Amino acid sequence: MNAVLANQKASPDALVQVRGLRTRIGAKTIFDGLDLDVPRGSITAIMGPSGTGKTTLLRHITGQLRPDAGSVIVDGEDVPKLSRRALFDLRERIGFLFQNSALLTDFSVFENVAFPLRQHAKLPEELLRNIVLTKLQAVGLRGAAQLMPSELSGGMARRVALARAIVFDPMLILYDEPFVGLDPIALNQVLRLIRTLNKTLGITSILVAHELAAIRQVADRVYLIANGKLVAQGAPDELAHQDSPWTRQFFGGEADGPVPFQYPAPDYATELGFAERTR
Amino acid sequence: MNANLRRNWLLQGIASVGDCGLFFVAVLGALPKSLRHWRETCRQVWFVGAMSLVIVMTCGLFVGMVLALQLYYTLSIFGGTAALGTVVALSLFRELGPVVTALLVAGRAGTAVTAEIGLMRATDQIDAMGMMAVDPLAYVASPRFLAGVIAMPLLACVFNAMGIFGGHLVGVTWLGLDNGTFWGNMTSTVSLHRDILDGLYKSIVFGGIVSLIAVFQGYTAPPTSEGVAYSTTRTVVFSSIVILAFDFVMTAFMT
Repeated sequence: MNAVLANQKASPDALVQVRGLRTRIGAKTIFDGLDLDVPRGSITAIMGPSGTGKTTLLRHITGQLRPDAGSVIVDGEDVPKLSRRALFDLRERIGFLFQNSALLTDFSVFENVAFPLRQHAKLPEELLRNIVLTKLQAVGLRGAAQLMPSELSGGMARRVALARAIVFDPMLILYDEPFVGLDPIALNQVLRLIRTLNKTLGITSILVAHELAAIRQVADRVYLIANGKLVAQGAPDELAHQDSPWTRQFFGGEADGPVPFQYPAPDYATELGFAERTR
Repeated sequence: MNANLRRNWLLQGIASVGDCGLFFVAVLGALPKSLRHWRETCRQVWFVGAMSLVIVMTCGLFVGMVLALQLYYTLSIFGGTAALGTVVALSLFRELGPVVTALLVAGRAGTAVTAEIGLMRATDQIDAMGMMAVDPLAYVASPRFLAGVIAMPLLACVFNAMGIFGGHLVGVTWLGLDNGTFWGNMTSTVSLHRDILDGLYKSIVFGGIVSLIAVFQGYTAPPTSEGVAYSTTRTVVFSSIVILAFDFVMTAFMT
């Protein structure tokens, strides 16, 4: 299978290399010369204020969105320059966990996990069944195989989506806010799964999340993005103690700082009409 | 409305027609690949076709009945009520069958397709397919497009049959026309090529129009509840306008 071959490719250290990434969406500049590397076999967390383009970065890595300039190299291939077919070949080696799980609502849990296999591999039904049940067992939901997505809780849906993301044994998994809306038990279950998949299968993981405590437990490296640039990087504990205004505000949870509390607006007094009166 | 805004509306309208045209080409391009998902196409034919049967049959019956009543009145002025069967059949085969069926399918199945695809997009299911290296055009768009093209002529045939049955009910059973005259005049005048097949060609084109507009609106619906609702409305409005416009053009070329 493609995934197995991909994992055996002679590899430089970084599985994902982003260089000089520039993106504008409408009038807003999302990235303004972003550089970062994701080492193979690591768990890398991408953090930053809301609306800073973390999910957009994941979409660049998977080729869902083309940047205006710069390169995004995944496993030696420059994603924006790939043809559609080559891009789809690459995506067979990448798992993506959507924030809202994105399960296909017409299909049962079993069929959701079986979906990529049915589309890409002509496997005997028995083998397919065994693979799907193995993946569901790994996320602890073998017993829920026949349930429909509407019958699942948020945490269960996310675990099913994770089983679907790993059904092809990918080299890379991208997690888009995997902890949002989960209760502490479900959060720990997902956290444990991310760590186990990384340690046992050696899957490189990129994690977009805000939960500092969870990230400290699981991530090897954190990149902090703000204003379209990389503003800090390092191991989670190292970063938490770094003395930059960005890390101080972000890790200290300060309401105001380099990321301002006020959305850019015209002068307050002028807008209220006081400035004219005092003239 | 100022001139700038009006120009923007016009430009946006032209741009979205262009987008729809490009989307049509992409859907056609994905058709060969979508044949691999023939089960999905069958499911959609069942959804667009079989699930629309009740409304199409009921409306067909009533349209045929009212047509017979109106035409009986008109023909009786000229003493030509014997031609009732012929006129009912010709009106249905050439015009009402394809057009009314298309309008009904746009309202029943077209809106459902738009809302379904719009919600699939809003809940990231379309993106998730792309991420699993499954072309959503081949899996979602093309089967639904094909289903519309297949189901529409079949539904139009059912509509016509029910319409003629309704016409017969009113003309023969109620108003007392001779049964042999009703059928005899109809079968001797209606031509397979000129009337029945022309109507079928129309409904194939209308099937393509309704399903293309429904799929396109769903695919490009903004991922909000308001966006999906607006796109669903647009499916009905645009389908109706385009069907009636194409009907005129096709009739002009066929007659």
